[in-house]
Amino acid sequence: MKEEKKDDGVMAEEKPYMFWIWTLASTIFRLFLIFSPANINLSSRPEVSTPHTSLRRLAEGYWLKQSSLSPYAGSMYHGSPLLLSILGPLTVQRIEGQSSHHLCSLVFVIADLLSALLLRAIGQKLQKSYRMNLRPLGVLRSSQDRGILPCGDIAALVYLWNPFTILSCVGLSTSPIENLAVIVSLYGAVTRRVPLAAFGLIMATHLSLYSAPLVFPLIFLLGYGLDAPPIKKFLQTRHGGVETGSTSDVSKQEKLTPTTQLPFSWRTVLHFVFWVLVWSSYVLVLCSLSLKQYGGLEEMFKRTYGFILRIEDLSPNIGVFWYFFAEAFEFSRNYLLIIFNLYILLTSIPSLMFRLKHRPCFLAFAYLAFTSILKSYPSVGDAALYLSLWALFVNELTDMEYSFFIFCGYIGFSLLSPVMHNFWIWRGTGNANFYFGNAMGYACFQFMFVEKSVNAMLNHDQALKKATAEMTKN
Amino acid sequence: MAAVNRDNEEEVKTDDGSPKIKPRPIVRLGIFLIAHSPVFSVVFSAAGVLALLLLPLLAKNTYISENALMPGSARSMLSNRDVSDGSKLVKDIKNFRLNHEGQGVEVQKLIGKYMSDMGAEVSYQKFHPEGNQFHPLHFFSGPDSYTLLENVSCASYGVNVAGIIRAPRGDGKESIVLVTPYDFINGGDYEDLSLGIVSSLFSLLSRVTWLSKDIIWLVADSRYGDYRPVAAWLTEYHSPSFKVSDLLKCDEQNTADNFRRAGTMAAALVLKVDGRSEKFEDTLSIYAEASNGQMPNLDLINVVNYLAVHRQGFYVKVEKVVSLLSSSWLKIFGEIFEAVGKLAHMLNPDWNFGIPAADYLEGSATLASSLYSQALGIPTGPHGAFRDYQVDAITLKVSPRFPPDSKTRQHDFFLRGARLLEGTIRSVNNLLEKFHQSFFLYMLTSPSKFISVGVYMIAFALLVAPLPMVAASLYIDGCKSLTNSTHNPTENFKSWKWLDAAKQVFTLHLLGFIVTLLPYFICQVPGQHSPTNRSIMWGTTSSSLLLITFVTMPGCSPFSSRLHGTNWAILKSVTISAAFIGLCLMSIINFATAEIGALLLVPTCLMAQPIKPALRSRRLKSLLGAFCSIVLLTIGFPVMFFAISKGLLGEGLVGLSLGGEFWTWLESLWAWKSATYLYIGMVHLPCWLLCLCILFHPS
Repeated sequence: MKEEKKDDGVMAEEKPYMFWIWTLASTIFRLFLIFSPANINLSSRPEVSTPHTSLRRLAEGYWLKQSSLSPYAGSMYHGSPLLLSILGPLTVQRIEGQSSHHLCSLVFVIADLLSALLLRAIGQKLQKSYRMNLRPLGVLRSSQDRGILPCGDIAALVYLWNPFTILSCVGLSTSPIENLAVIVSLYGAVTRRVPLAAFGLIMATHLSLYSAPLVFPLIFLLGYGLDAPPIKKFLQTRHGGVETGSTSDVSKQEKLTPTTQLPFSWRTVLHFVFWVLVWSSYVLVLCSLSLKQYGGLEEMFKRTYGFILRIEDLSPNIGVFWYFFAEAFEFSRNYLLIIFNLYILLTSIPSLMFRLKHRPCFLAFAYLAFTSILKSYPSVGDAALYLSLWALFVNELTDMEYSFFIFCGYIGFSLLSPVMHNFWIWRGTGNANFYFGNAMGYACFQFMFVEKSVNAMLNHDQALKKATAEMTKN
Repeated sequence: MAAVNRDNEEEVKTDDGSPKIKPRPIVRLGIFLIAHSPVFSVVFSAAGVLALLLLPLLAKNTYISENALMPGSARSMLSNRDVSDGSKLVKDIKNFRLNHEGQGVEVQKLIGKYMSDMGAEVSYQKFHPEGNQFHPLHFFSGPDSYTLLENVSCASYGVNVAGIIRAPRGDGKESIVLVTPYDFINGGDYEDLSLGIVSSLFSLLSRVTWLSKDIIWLVADSRYGDYRPVAAWLTEYHSPSFKVSDLLKCDEQNTADNFRRAGTMAAALVLKVDGRSEKFEDTLSIYAEASNGQMPNLDLINVVNYLAVHRQGFYVKVEKVVSLLSSSWLKIFGEIFEAVGKLAHMLNPDWNFGIPAADYLEGSATLASSLYSQALGIPTGPHGAFRDYQVDAITLKVSPRFPPDSKTRQHDFFLRGARLLEGTIRSVNNLLEKFHQSFFLYMLTSPSKFISVGVYMIAFALLVAPLPMVAASLYIDGCKSLTNSTHNPTENFKSWKWLDAAKQVFTLHLLGFIVTLLPYFICQVPGQHSPTNRSIMWGTTSSSLLLITFVTMPGCSPFSSRLHGTNWAILKSVTISAAFIGLCLMSIINFATAEIGALLLVPTCLMAQPIKPALRSRRLKSLLGAFCSIVLLTIGFPVMFFAISKGLLGEGLVGLSLGGEFWTWLESLWAWKSATYLYIGMVHLPCWLLCLCILFHPS
């Protein structure tokens, strides 16, 4: 007992020290890449900057606004007017003797750091909940306590040192801001700070339409609580009572068990809905004021959400829509647009909601991964976000299959993408099929990753259920 | 009673589960391949090497894919008067250089005057010679990355002369480029002849009515090499610099504001004339390789080869490895294939794939030269600069059979050379768009035989096919052994045992990246200009970094205790996966480098095993395997392979030490921004180090 305490103390003292060292190193690495005189022009890479997240387009929109024009004129800028108001002035200010956009890069570094710290807090909450739920399984207590990994630190460092995150931060993409908004909403829900969760959700949806499905895992988080809900304690208590009862009591308990409902905090959810409406109105009023002279909210919705849903910009990216719609006939374009946009809604949201409602944080990961595969203008920043959310569940996903194969596929197709682009654009010996083939391969591996993760999580919960049943029998 | 019930339940579950667990045929095939991966890896590797040896047999005759080219379909309009104009230019240049020994631009002005007399627009361009300073990020930037040097000396610059003939049927949007590199200082007698040939042709083209593309004649100042002036002119042509260069102050002549352009370039021909031919005919050598193994469209070579052989009577050749022509083992292979071909032809007259052994030798020597030139990634002539701008270009080097002062022979030589270029320009003139029909990815086994990407990629695919199979097999074996060795089953991460091995692989790849960047800093060290000293610095610094890595991260070191080390099977699995990814990436960037790299890396990776169990068991099979591993590792080290290939190619060391030679060779790679340099540093060297770690693994 004393030895265990000492071990915990040593680990508690040592690991945060290592965490902060690695965090500081990642910050220094980012600053080195930003201020390095050798500019490898990441901001023009189609993997890093999309028509939706490009800072150069934001600078163009800000210039148009400064010239008393609509920021959406000229089909360059398609982002948030609030983001334009915040980041736009930074794009025109320059540090003495440096190139442009350095202040924006510093903002992105700060956003990455904040995201990592919030991820760490979320992970610590999840880890505490995980340990609390495993403790009633007395047989596995000592070994599991020793084996539980600090998923918060791991997730934060996975986010900070992910090359995708570094590329988005250094490559002048606004993905770090969007990722921060998503993580703020999850943090608010995990710590049951309803106004903060609503604010994060509204900002995330405002910056990127595909964050809207997060409303469902957030409602589950606020209603049911953290992953592995406390209903298991209740069931175990009742089963504990069964052991001392008679056979008639056993039959009564069996009748009662299927009809037991998980406790759902409707009051908190209504509180959340209220704050969502408050923040929505606030944001819409601000946007309306910002675009008063340039068409108002209608123009904003058309140029931002309409741009996303109609897939207007067909320049190449790492998604699978640009090539398909470049080849589609004009008269069938509307039909295909409806099919492709409904595909995200109908194939992922209901089924995953049904199977993973007891795992709201993991449900958020699954939603973000699915939308990052099937969205109109994906970039590596989307992969950075869902990979770090996945790292929050290293303890539950130890039995994930084909992990090495998926890892090699990610590395291979990520390295192959700029090669294929060079083959097509610069050398001229390839063509668009090469780059699209790489995008399809990348999408296949992402699908495999999501599928194996969900399978591993369901298997883990099945194993927990079996362990609980065995404990009841004993 | 309860125990019996439990057993019954388990049996029921098993019976229920067995029909559902049956795998699908493709999964069963995968399991079969993984289970028998040693046999399949040997078979596939042997098949890959055999396919490589069979490539000269599989070469096909070239043909014109683009119908619009129609080579040789028009009678030549070149007349004796045009040739007389060319001869006059050559004579004037010779007389001028005999009478004036200054280093001014008088010869350029003379050539420019001739161009303007023929009705062309003349422009001059100054450029400065750029040193081969190693900058690590040049690999990742585009062709517009030339940086203006700060201190430009007025005593060291060159002047290009360009004349443009506007096409009567054109709209100024397309052009054909003729380049004649000419050393205005040290040019020999034969170099003048290239000016004569193109001048004759220029005289004709300035008067014809069928031109639909502008003609640009660039006389490149090749006093600092023939690639640099062409690259500088192309940079100015495509990406004009708005900075006022200091070169403008070097002379009274202002060349900044009259640079002429003529639209996109459909094709480019570089013409050089050098020493006497060894044959009884005039010899034409074709050089086609551009940077990183890129080749021009095959139709361009087909047109030139067709016109040269069938219209002008040149003997056309491409580069070959001469030492292979006297190779006895290759001759044996040729005779075997010839015998098999004859046998097949007797059995079925339609099977006609046999070729004589002499042709096989020629094809193999040419193929080897093509592979080596593409693998180096260095252009074989000034035509390589055009490929950076997606312009198809080749260099034609003509070797006349007569001495340089023979007037009658010179006249005939001018006539045939100019007619060859005229026919080529006529064909390119017919194009409505850029070359796109024929192959861009091919290798030549003779001027009229080629192997396309669909054929030679089979050899590469067979070579690397064992890698994923063996990686999967080793991964499964490594996981099983780790599971058995762990005391507490609940602490197993069933699917994540590869993380430690991946950490080691990543660390050594990071070390390879750092070693690749080290020459940049070594070149900054003042006072150490000797290649030998620089290579020694590079070697010692890299070794120190490796030792530091092993000390700071015990898990990455093969000399640590057994507790720290990872399972060697999983380490080998991850190493093989990394090699597979690197080779596949390189096969797209530069196939020839990937092919040679696969020949070295695949046997090394597959044969690598810990040497201690082999020495412990003392079985002949294990000892033989360990010996093969050591031999392959020795051959696979980049410096050692460089020395062996030098010896095989018949070139000895030229006074420098082995390290100095290797450094000079690497300098040429990075000076030309060859991806082969990145491959050696970031794929080959880390995988070699990892195989070394596996060899000395304390298992």
